[in-house]
Amino acid sequence: MQKNIWRPFKISALAALAIAAVSCKEETPKSLPLLGPYTVEDNIMNGMLVTDTVFTTIRPFSFYDQDSNEITHATIDGKVYVTDFFFTSCPTICPKMKQQLLRVNEEFKDNNELIILSHSIDPKRDSVARLHSYAEKLGINSSKWHLMTGERDSIYSMAKHYMIAAQEDKLAPGGYAHSGAFLLVDKNKQIRGIYDGTLPEEVDQMMEDIKWLLNNGGK
Amino acid sequence: MAANKPLFALVLTALVGVISCDYKPRNQGHSVYVKHCQSCHLENGEGLGALIPPVANADYVTNRSDELACLITHGISGNITVNGVAYEGEMPGNKLLTDVELTNLIHYILVDLNQQENPYVINDIKAQLANCDAK
Repeated sequence: MQKNIWRPFKISALAALAIAAVSCKEETPKSLPLLGPYTVEDNIMNGMLVTDTVFTTIRPFSFYDQDSNEITHATIDGKVYVTDFFFTSCPTICPKMKQQLLRVNEEFKDNNELIILSHSIDPKRDSVARLHSYAEKLGINSSKWHLMTGERDSIYSMAKHYMIAAQEDKLAPGGYAHSGAFLLVDKNKQIRGIYDGTLPEEVDQMMEDIKWLLNNGGK
Repeated sequence: MAANKPLFALVLTALVGVISCDYKPRNQGHSVYVKHCQSCHLENGEGLGALIPPVANADYVTNRSDELACLITHGISGNITVNGVAYEGEMPGNKLLTDVELTNLIHYILVDLNQQENPYVINDIKAQLANCDAK
């Protein structure tokens, strides 16, 4: 009687271990979802009602990078990009996020279809000059990784557009609270992935997803 | 069964005590590092490019092993060189660490991150703190 009580537990423990072993690692995706807000549109095509789900496309923007280049849709046309929000005097999650983006920068350094756009949420202190110095010390090339500054309201509304939380917070270390999210945007300027940039395993998955996108025409 | 209950309870309490307290100085040093230092100096003390200096395998640290308590408490500002790389900026000081936490943190930095001997016990740290130059 004693033996039979424990057997189902042992079996399910083994099963759980087996499932964990195959599921807890990054996978090559079969396809990437479209993410973000969407609208549902009804259209008449060939006399028939066709309903389409239309996902948000990143809207036009204008910022300046560490070399005073204006960064707009022209910069991202035909590119897959990773984007995040940070500020240079951030003492909490930013060093980790930048460390992880350095990995991405290195992994795709020879592929100029992948670029990185980092927005500063402290444009008052993060001038072009300050971003230039920061970029130099990080050892990055502005043709691949743009550290951007600009109009405060534009930056904050862009964060909202990307669904990344960012705001001034006097109680937060550094004076700003923001999420460590990395967003992956495809060549159609649509969002295909959201990752926690402070977690290396999520960044590993993001890099797999980028490779899939690049191998599948970026869309 | 009844005779074993007090012994069982004692063993259980001892186990809980051992598991829940960082009774090894190194373990508490590591916990202090994770809480107060890791966000900038990162998990292995490697720092970030020329932005944030390493604290692991760092000549600046080993050359100043007898000043670490003051540096951590009062912070560092201005230009420094670590392993041949120039850094400018500011490390905020941390005046909230207790003497025990500071002693354990320094032990962790010297022994685990820099493979050095650590000769400093808590009285050394207290003596150092009493004599920090105002920077």
